Amino acid sequence: MADSRSTGYEDTYTESQVILTAVKVIAPFTLTYGMFMTLHGADTPGGSFQGGAIIGVTVLMLAFAFGIEPTRQWLKNSVIVSLVAGGVAIFVGVGLATMALGGNFLQYELFDTELGIPDGTKWGMEAIEIGGIALIVAGVVITLFFATAAGFTPEGRSYRTDSTDTDDEVITDD
Amino acid sequence: MSLVAYTLVAFILVTAVATALFRDVLSAIVVFGAYSLGMAILYTLLLAPDVAMTEAAIGAGVTTILLLLTIARTSRPSTERLFEPINVPALVIVGAFVLVLVTQLLPEMYAVGDPAAPVWSNPEVTQAYLEQTYRDTGVQNAVTAVLAAYRGFDTFGEAVVVFAAGIATLLVLKREVFA
Repeated sequence: MADSRSTGYEDTYTESQVILTAVKVIAPFTLTYGMFMTLHGADTPGGSFQGGAIIGVTVLMLAFAFGIEPTRQWLKNSVIVSLVAGGVAIFVGVGLATMALGGNFLQYELFDTELGIPDGTKWGMEAIEIGGIALIVAGVVITLFFATAAGFTPEGRSYRTDSTDTDDEVITDD
Repeated sequence: MSLVAYTLVAFILVTAVATALFRDVLSAIVVFGAYSLGMAILYTLLLAPDVAMTEAAIGAGVTTILLLLTIARTSRPSTERLFEPINVPALVIVGAFVLVLVTQLLPEMYAVGDPAAPVWSNPEVTQAYLEQTYRDTGVQNAVTAVLAAYRGFDTFGEAVVVFAAGIATLLVLKREVFA
């Protein structure tokens, strides 16, 4: 299962039937729980920081079970970048939208008074919680994991010998 | 505090000291995960479920995985000793600090859940938020309301800090992609 052409990751991976089976059973539940915590954080304990972290951890569990390199190829770098940068953009966007409506940064009640959205404050908060913080936290947790797994590459050495994955740029020697 | 809570506090203290003393890094990381899990349960008993969830997800989950990954990528020195040797001057200083805290500071603090504690009894801050939150924002979780609405700009700063942490990791590792 592990792709041994690229360097580094595979030496620590052992295919374990116990871990595979456990993760296959547990992963759908952790993903659902993370989504629930994010989407329902306004009315129950928890919120998008915790929910986003649990969503991110689901990917980490998959990586532990199926190997880091296959997971990394499945979850493209562009997807993770979109998660993190998109989250920041949505958060800023909601804040700037209220300013465009003539108020202050993140003055949610303007969605209600100016745009006529019922419960504008609540939906504004949900937007930055679900669209902003959850995406950022989930993306950064996955980022830190993949970056730590890849490790530090000393100057003047390419860290991958093949470049079959056109989505990622390969750092090569100059 | 119940017997369960005291048992939990003892467990947390033992795991915290063990984390510091274990010579083998892998043992220290595993015990540190147990410490975080104990803290998460203690926060739940202290009626702080939001903090407990963060501690369980980040402290026991993500941190443990990242640390395990780090030692998998580095060499682990083999040792025959189980514990680190104890630095006596450091132990004396830390012991004196803990002694002062326990004998001088702890008796001055309010008991857990004391209704007279300022954090709970003041009408200007805590009670005001609890009373106004649902009317102002339409959400029932006051913690979420404070984070996302009343202190929304602070939370924006926190979110950008998390974003910056991801970028900084790439810079330190001299990479252009998250992989």
